[in-house]
Amino acid sequence: MLDISHLTKRYGKFLAVNDLNLHIDKGEIFGFVGPNGAGKTTTMKIVCGLLDATAGSVTVDGVDALKCSKDIKRKVGYVPDFFGVYDNLKTMEYMEFFGSMYGMGKEEVDAVADGLLELVNLSDKKDVFVDTLSRGMKQRLCVARALIHNPDLLVLDEPNSGLDPRARFEMKEVLKNLGSMGKTIIISSHILPELSEMCTSIGIMDRGHLVTAGHVDEIMNKSDGASKIHIQIVGMEDKDDIRTFMAEQPNVTKVNFTEDEVLVSFNGDEMAVANLLKNIIGRGIAVSGFYKEKENLESLFLEITGGNN
Amino acid sequence: MKNKIRINPILKKEMVVGSRSMKMSWAIMAVSAILTAIVVFTLLVSQLNVASGATYDYSTLIVLFPVLGIAECIMLSLMVPVITSGSISGEREKQTLDIMLTTPISPFSIVLGKLMSAMMIVMMYMIASVPVMAITFVLGGLSWWNLIGLFIILIYLGIYVGSVGIFCSSVVKKSIAATILTIVIGLAIIIGTSLIYSVSITIMSMYYMTSGNMRPDSLLGPVVVFMFNPYSPIFDFMVRALSDSSIYDMVSSANINPVMGFLYRFWIPISMGINLLISFGFLKLAAARVGNVKTKKAGKVNNKAGNKAVQNTATTNNTVTENTDNQNN
Ligand SMILES: Nc1ncnc2c1ncn2[C@@H]1O[C@H](COP(=O)(O)OP(=O)(O)OP(=O)(O)O)[C@@H](O)[C@H]1O
Ligand SMILES: [Mg+2]
Repeated sequence: MLDISHLTKRYGKFLAVNDLNLHIDKGEIFGFVGPNGAGKTTTMKIVCGLLDATAGSVTVDGVDALKCSKDIKRKVGYVPDFFGVYDNLKTMEYMEFFGSMYGMGKEEVDAVADGLLELVNLSDKKDVFVDTLSRGMKQRLCVARALIHNPDLLVLDEPNSGLDPRARFEMKEVLKNLGSMGKTIIISSHILPELSEMCTSIGIMDRGHLVTAGHVDEIMNKSDGASKIHIQIVGMEDKDDIRTFMAEQPNVTKVNFTEDEVLVSFNGDEMAVANLLKNIIGRGIAVSGFYKEKENLESLFLEITGGNN
Repeated sequence: MKNKIRINPILKKEMVVGSRSMKMSWAIMAVSAILTAIVVFTLLVSQLNVASGATYDYSTLIVLFPVLGIAECIMLSLMVPVITSGSISGEREKQTLDIMLTTPISPFSIVLGKLMSAMMIVMMYMIASVPVMAITFVLGGLSWWNLIGLFIILIYLGIYVGSVGIFCSSVVKKSIAATILTIVIGLAIIIGTSLIYSVSITIMSMYYMTSGNMRPDSLLGPVVVFMFNPYSPIFDFMVRALSDSSIYDMVSSANINPVMGFLYRFWIPISMGINLLISFGFLKLAAARVGNVKTKKAGKVNNKAGNKAVQNTATTNNTVTENTDNQNN
């Protein structure tokens, strides 16, 4: 479906995307993760034909995306990371406006827009002025708009940014539905746990590099090596003592203190964790809480990108 | 697909939006008020000048036509830059320009749609001014052809100023800055060409008067330059409307060379043609700025900031401290 090979983008001397290779199959929901400035938006804009690449190639269904031909524009729908709406324009007119850019007449748009507005849960807002919609609604409207020409590939740049949990949930449902309709979707986001729930595959990008990419399960497994254990201790007076002790334990790679707990980076299997707990208690430390952090994308992300967020 | 002619999407949208906004109505009302004030003022003054008892000669009111016409042109030249100033930058700011560029619509269609939207307002403005202008025709005894001529002039001027305005909007982010830049470019062209024309003509005629031998073809340069003055056909039009003569007659009744004779005689179509070509050039430039994916580079400042950010991440990266880890929970 989408093939990116050796994609490189420079802004002047600054390397924003560095030799990126990526393949996304039809029907996949691909989550693009990376810290600010990783090059996600840049990559997505190149895929949509909004930016040219310095080097490399991008094809959507075998069509060269870099030539910015009309063919590619009919295949791709784009939701930018930030966008405004027009004053004095109603929801349905908004859809008609963008539909007409694809050469669709009013009737044609109306026929499609009904279904799309229903999909994004805005059926009751057809005659409302778009600038009065809430941010979440605008975001969903923009998704409906990007689907007006029935594209195969939908590119969404941080569709969840600035949304409250409820709106995020709604957006997530919309995207899940789209996925089940067989659309190929690329989503960039900072909200990692949510991506892992709705994406079929994930790519992690950092400073222009695609650090890792693959099926969600694959990616999650990759991180099995290092997990975090939270230990709460009653009366944590002698931190140095505890630190030294913890650091001596097998499989422990790092020891940190937060306000009320010890955070141990751990590199071992379940049995090793059990042994660690046994040792701690054996030492006479009063443990009041002990749990292994469930690995999620967030920690994986921070791990891979070196702890910067 | 279908053979039906499609209205430019942007024009269609702007018409819907415009019909709901009061802004344009206010502007047109203000303009009509100014024109009315000029007429009333002129009528009052001319009536005061008539000695009591004498018959009032309405035909002197013919001067109202150039006065109102030029006033309309000047107001148009100030209004259109305001209308067009946010046309591209506004869409860019909203990122709707990016969205449009992911659709099959061409950058030139976007720019053209914006120009047509501005022209719709120009038309409304023209129609609103008809009643006031009609006074000059009824009282001053001008032919309706002059009114049609004035409309053509206003449309021409609207296209010219609108194209420069849209170009400026594609270059400058801030609406006010784009408005000012448009007016400055317009004034520079008008004043520049006028200066070149009048100064060189004065110098040359002084030179030839003293030396005695007239070589009118050496004036061709400044004349051609003056053709690039967007107001020059308006000037010629007013002269023709008032006096059945033209710049041609005003400049020289002496035998001038045939090329210049031709230029003077057909000043209005030639100069309008030249300036419409220039408008087209401005539109093309604007379209290039809209659609150019290559020049979408931010300034050097941004680049430096980006590099710095990378250096920062690199350094923090090497010294991952307990604190950063603690924050991860
Ligand atoms: N027009 C531009 N000119 C110069 N540098 C740019 C430009 N656009 C982006 N950059 C730089 O390229 C890098 C990648 O930017 P990009 O917007 O692709 O990151 P991102 O992953 O989308 O970040 P975010 O999560 O903040 O949206 C950044 O360091 C940025 O400073
Ligand atoms: Mg981004």
